[in-house]
Amino acid sequence: MKLAIAGKGGAGKTSITGTLARVFAQSGYQVLAVDNDMNPNLSLTVGIPAELMTELPVFGPEIVRKRDDGGYDLAMTLEEICAAYSLCAPDDITLLTANQPTQAGTG
Amino acid sequence: MHAAVRGVIEAAEDSPAHVSILDTEASTEHLLVSTAKHAHAMFAVVEPYFTSLETGRRINLLARDLGIERVALIVNKVRSQEDLEAVDAFAEEEGLEVVGTVPYDDCFHEAERVSRAPLDFAPDAEAMIAIRRLAPRLLNARGT
Repeated sequence: MKLAIAGKGGAGKTSITGTLARVFAQSGYQVLAVDNDMNPNLSLTVGIPAELMTELPVFGPEIVRKRDDGGYDLAMTLEEICAAYSLCAPDDITLLTANQPTQAGTG
Repeated sequence: MHAAVRGVIEAAEDSPAHVSILDTEASTEHLLVSTAKHAHAMFAVVEPYFTSLETGRRINLLARDLGIERVALIVNKVRSQEDLEAVDAFAEEEGLEVVGTVPYDDCFHEAERVSRAPLDFAPDAEAMIAIRRLAPRLLNARGT
């Protein structure tokens, strides 16, 4: 099952998403958590120690390639993407964090 | 970047043993839903007041346009019976599903202050109990 959690900042979206990921994992599901928030804090709410946040691996447009028709395909398998970019969070959650261009731009 | 996130969700395992969960972008609603195109269900986290519920209503419309099978609200920071009644009235009027509610709980703020996961910081907090109860309901009723 693939779930998406939406909502405005401040409503508690990321806290609830991170907690749900943990609850699913503790219930025996294999969980892939994907953070696409502009302010990527999912790692914290799933329980990755704060000191690791600065070294959080992030994936970006390099994982896709453009097709002739203008659409995009993944340029790698999900296994390869996870091997290269994911972090293992508590309860064996696989955490993928999307690079946020606005952050890169302000650096 | 949207294509990358969309591609990851499309490629994610779709089996009874797997759950993938996407924390979407909080900013522009029309873009946020496009990354979720391949999700089976979208849940909008809203607060129990009108403008936030309105956001939920718009997310519902956009997600349905994308063809997502199930869209529902998770109402967070519920403080009173009046909150619940207002939410129920809005949802009924707009034909929205409320999949669950989470009470207002300081544990989120306190966990953030010490940089810990809410579930580790306060596993028995009211909000954590509510989310444990909520989780299986998100997996139910796919396509209904």
